Amino acid sequence: MSGCCGQNGDVPTTLEPVRVEEPDVDEALANDKPWVVIVWNDPINLMSYVTYVLKSLFGYSDEKATALMLDVHHKGKAAVAHGNREEAEMHVFRLHEHSLWASMEHDV
Amino acid sequence: MSRPDFVPPVERVDNSDVDPLGTFDDGTGPKFRLNFEPEERELLIRLLSEMKDLLTSEVTEVTAPLLHRLFPPAFRDDPEKEAEYQRLMREELVTSRVVSVDLVTAMLTADPDTGRLADLSKPDTMAFMQSLNAVRLVLGTMLDITDDDSAEQADTDDSHEFQLYGYLGWLLEWTVQSLSETA
Repeated sequence: MSGCCGQNGDVPTTLEPVRVEEPDVDEALANDKPWVVIVWNDPINLMSYVTYVLKSLFGYSDEKATALMLDVHHKGKAAVAHGNREEAEMHVFRLHEHSLWASMEHDV
Repeated sequence: MSRPDFVPPVERVDNSDVDPLGTFDDGTGPKFRLNFEPEERELLIRLLSEMKDLLTSEVTEVTAPLLHRLFPPAFRDDPEKEAEYQRLMREELVTSRVVSVDLVTAMLTADPDTGRLADLSKPDTMAFMQSLNAVRLVLGTMLDITDDDSAEQADTDDSHEFQLYGYLGWLLEWTVQSLSETA
């Protein structure tokens, strides 16, 4: 069912040299910059549901998922994951599938 | 509130009384059971069907606000990236939701011979949870539950829609609790 790659996806090999094309400097900087995935507070999703979704999507422990959920609830948002743009988009999409109010931005 | 014969609406099935050694474990993991009355199944199937109509119809001025919470922005402060994300992912998100609704509708349809629902795998139960939550989210949006104050107000309002909203929340809570009993 799950077509995700995430952290268990392609393992880079060290055997072959990788040919890298010279990208635009600006774009390279932008791509290197890690992204952060944010879940925002909303008054409809149940606290237990949010905690369970964070556990099942990210494999977080009960403690960690509960702490993140409480941050969302009390502080209005919480950073639930980090990654490159592709990874962050995948996380956001899966959170949206579960109807959590998620977005992504550059980590600063 | 509690009746002596209370049966939870969603429960993890323990087969240890009939299968103490787990001999008949089919290797697909824990099983879950939906203990619904026929009227509950019909109600949920109707709500799911209404949500599917909403998801698959052309977006209008009336439906756009209802859909807003099902399709949140991925890039809040970058309109260009947001437009690109919506262009690439919105259709996929619609499809994902519709697939889930169809799956759950089938799960809620009783076996014509036994009149019962089949027990569910964990992924099926998670799909049920996901669709149930989406239906509740649309209803909550219709009821204008936009902040924690109006959420509290919903607890005390006893109109039909708010009762339905409360029922869906109760059902969702049981579903999450049953799933949480597994690793």
